[in-house]
Amino acid sequence: MDESRRRVLEGAYECIARRGMAKTTVDDVAAASGVSRATIYRLFPGGKEELLRDTVGWEMDRFFLRLGEELGDAADFPEFLERALPLARRELREHAVLQKVLETEPDRLNALITVQQHRVIGAIAAYFLPLLERDRAAGHIGADADLAACAEYVARLSLSLISSPGRHDLGDPAEVQRLVRRELLGGVWADA
Amino acid sequence: MTLAVTQAPVDARALDAVLTCIGRFGLAKTTIDDIAREAGCSRATLYRYFDGKPEIVRRAVAAERERVAGLVVDAGRSAPTFADAVVAVVVTAARELRNHDALQFLLAHEPEAVLGHLAFGPGDRVLIAVGDAMAPAFDRWLSPADATRAGDWLARVVRSYVLMPHPPIDFTDPSTARAFLEQLVIPGLEGSR
Repeated sequence: MDESRRRVLEGAYECIARRGMAKTTVDDVAAASGVSRATIYRLFPGGKEELLRDTVGWEMDRFFLRLGEELGDAADFPEFLERALPLARRELREHAVLQKVLETEPDRLNALITVQQHRVIGAIAAYFLPLLERDRAAGHIGADADLAACAEYVARLSLSLISSPGRHDLGDPAEVQRLVRRELLGGVWADA
Repeated sequence: MTLAVTQAPVDARALDAVLTCIGRFGLAKTTIDDIAREAGCSRATLYRYFDGKPEIVRRAVAAERERVAGLVVDAGRSAPTFADAVVAVVVTAARELRNHDALQFLLAHEPEAVLGHLAFGPGDRVLIAVGDAMAPAFDRWLSPADATRAGDWLARVVRSYVLMPHPPIDFTDPSTARAFLEQLVIPGLEGSR
């Protein structure tokens, strides 16, 4: 990523953490990032709305990058998911900026997040695909399975579970194991 | 006597009217006057039945949820096998939601009016309620606990694939829905049968 783009996104993130989304202005972001207004508008032609949207997307990308770093040593995809779901749920609950915005400006965030959702799902699915390919090479997944559709399905439903667990307790390892090996992977993982 | 006959319809007409208005102009722009005109009654009459627009909207949403849940459960219960029941439940839900003018207007133009009730914490409550409502569709094939789990899971599948933007799959088409559900979803729901 372009250095000034990264600085602007970091500045915008700081502003949101301090003042929330509604009160953050392009001038605030210019001051926080040390990048001129003109440069911000060149990088984000849609102005404040585009900047907010990209900041949310950028923070989500960082979130999944952190998860990936923690779980790089998982032996197979079911183990990866069993560790990822509780970790992602905990990160989400303890994410100070996210929780603050959810409390003070939930409508704004919900709209942004759903507009972003296909992008987030695409990124998670792209991350899952090589893990599924590895398990297929090891003989755990049938040769005829549509791995792209499977990666997207697991991405969508994992996101559903970590944002709204509903009746499921993601802090309970037996419950998480059941969700992963039945609901999420029961259709593709032969010996799940 | 005439009162008893006319009372219920005004109430029901107002609930239909608010959905028609939302399908036409959205939630923010719909006024009590619009609802009264559409329902064919006066503002004053509406205020005898409801505290105001928010209450009309709330009751219309509750009534719609019950109506759609009823259709979905009936579709599942009348299917010959568990797999057929899952397909019938998902296709019926997808068709009802896709062809719902008020819901589709809001998703396209006022997403915050809907999504606040579907995401994060409020989403938890909706998923639990919808999961419980859908469970009876499967009680011929699954234990009560597994039927509730299946209802919960299908509510998530529908929320993600039907209500969110850019759906990759058209669940209103039965053969598309069946191919997808048989490969990815149904085996995970019948694990403990």
